[in-house]
Amino acid sequence: MADSFILGLSSGTACLVTCGMIMFPYLMAGTAGTRRIAIDLSAFLLTRLLVYLMLATVAWYFGQAIFSSAIVHTYLPGILFVVFAALLIWYGIGKNRKKACPAKIVRTVDNNRLVPVFLGIVNSIGFCPALLIIITKGATEGTLVQSYLAFLAFFAGSSLWFLPLPFAGKIRKREVIGTIGIFATAIAGTIFMIKGITLIVGGIINV
Amino acid sequence: MYKDQTISTPGKPLGKALLYTLPMFLITFMFLTGGRPDFTDTTQTVALLTTFMGMNLLYFLMHFTGKTDRYRAVIFIIFALSLSFTLIKNMVEIRNSMSFSQADIVECKIPFCHLVIPMMIIPAAFTKSIIFPGTIIGGFADISSMVVLWLIATLVLGRGFCSWGCFYGGWDDGFSRFRKRPALRKISDSWKWMPFAVLLMVALTAALTLIPTYCDWMCPFKAVTEFEQVTNLESGVKAGVFISLFGGLVVALPVMSRKRTQCSFLCPLGAVNTVSNKVTPFTIKIDKTACNECYKCVEVCPLFALTPDDVKRGKASVFCSKCGKCVDACTKKAIHFGIKGVPAGTMKGFSRNLFLFVSFLFIAVFSSGSIMFTVRSLLNLIF
Repeated sequence: MADSFILGLSSGTACLVTCGMIMFPYLMAGTAGTRRIAIDLSAFLLTRLLVYLMLATVAWYFGQAIFSSAIVHTYLPGILFVVFAALLIWYGIGKNRKKACPAKIVRTVDNNRLVPVFLGIVNSIGFCPALLIIITKGATEGTLVQSYLAFLAFFAGSSLWFLPLPFAGKIRKREVIGTIGIFATAIAGTIFMIKGITLIVGGIINV
Repeated sequence: MYKDQTISTPGKPLGKALLYTLPMFLITFMFLTGGRPDFTDTTQTVALLTTFMGMNLLYFLMHFTGKTDRYRAVIFIIFALSLSFTLIKNMVEIRNSMSFSQADIVECKIPFCHLVIPMMIIPAAFTKSIIFPGTIIGGFADISSMVVLWLIATLVLGRGFCSWGCFYGGWDDGFSRFRKRPALRKISDSWKWMPFAVLLMVALTAALTLIPTYCDWMCPFKAVTEFEQVTNLESGVKAGVFISLFGGLVVALPVMSRKRTQCSFLCPLGAVNTVSNKVTPFTIKIDKTACNECYKCVEVCPLFALTPDDVKRGKASVFCSKCGKCVDACTKKAIHFGIKGVPAGTMKGFSRNLFLFVSFLFIAVFSSGSIMFTVRSLLNLIF
């Protein structure tokens, strides 16, 4: 669970920087007090949680179906971890990546009340490399409960960064924080890359 | 690139340089002998005198020639090599190996190093326990003395600790001097924020797992000190990570770029020291009236602490470790050691003398034990 939490925590910083600044005006638009902010933020986080739980279910059943073969079960998770971790590292340090957030499409939503929910859905299924890694992890867990726990830890880690969102406008040196967050994402990618390589090598040794 | 080349900083006259060296001479003698000189053991006496004379000669040369970095680097590199030698010799004598076993962890026999400090803070605050299998007080490289020494050094020197106190920094400092010109010139200076990401990750992972994750998985200096016994795939992967990071960040990249890449791009304690650089009274200042904006200081800075913007602002950034390389390189004497609150271009000599005294005294005291031990061991080996 710790690695899922860390993955969420590290990718959360990059997510906050790339998506948070788009979400912030929408979450805060037209709101006057902390109560409204708390309601919007709760709706946003609750939506994310529900989407993650659904993803955990789908990922686990999907994993049961495709990892039934021994050879696939031995090598595929490791390979997927390596591939998605490489994507996450590239996302972190690659110069040509597009750090655009799918949350931009909320601009098409007119109803302000629905915006936090819509943002929650878009943010959860943004399919960034970190999410692909956690889906792989959820799919390879032994039980459905373990898959839920992995997603919950990921949700908790990434959500921490959204809590101070109401104060985002007051953050100085936003660019520096963004750079550190993106590097942290790349480090998380490296951790999962090592995990993937260990799984593959372990598979080769054990076969 | 350079607009002008003129004669660089001259030193002091012989008598004055000797006078400035005298206090260091007396203090280091008192420290090395413990106030009670005992010259009965010939090998020990030779080791003591070699260390003592060598240190004071370097300090004298700093004053006599006016150059800082070239003499600082000598003691800094010797410190790194001798510390590794001391550690390895101790490990081999105690365990017949550089590696430690699970039993050593359980018995808290692992030597402590300052790089663990950022990982200890959160777990110590919440669990009131130290997440490192070392000795709290007493014994070889105990936790309390290392923490106190680091705390004093970082408050007084700021990131100066990274060039005047860290017993690992000498490794990549040494390798960064192998080539006369860098083969790798274009490195984005945004990488200098990487240690903060490493700090964030290791502090959080250590807090979550109650394991010093940096030491467990990332420390390149495990390759030249002590490491976990390779008994399974995981410990094998860890050993691979240590060796790769050492080979890449401590050897290959510093050789190619002439930069201290491990210190700049990985070390989490460097990030903490960068923050404490805001507290220290010492700094590097640039006299804008004397500066001809040749940017040689930017080029030679091993820690990406100077940018053209910093030169225009008239001071080094918080990443500065006060190694003195830029000061030595400045042909216009525009860049100098300074004290916060004192305008640039004023009290240059006093600021340098004060900083050199404090920082050299720290490295002399901190390194003398391992240097003396190394000299004695080498003498025993030869004779």
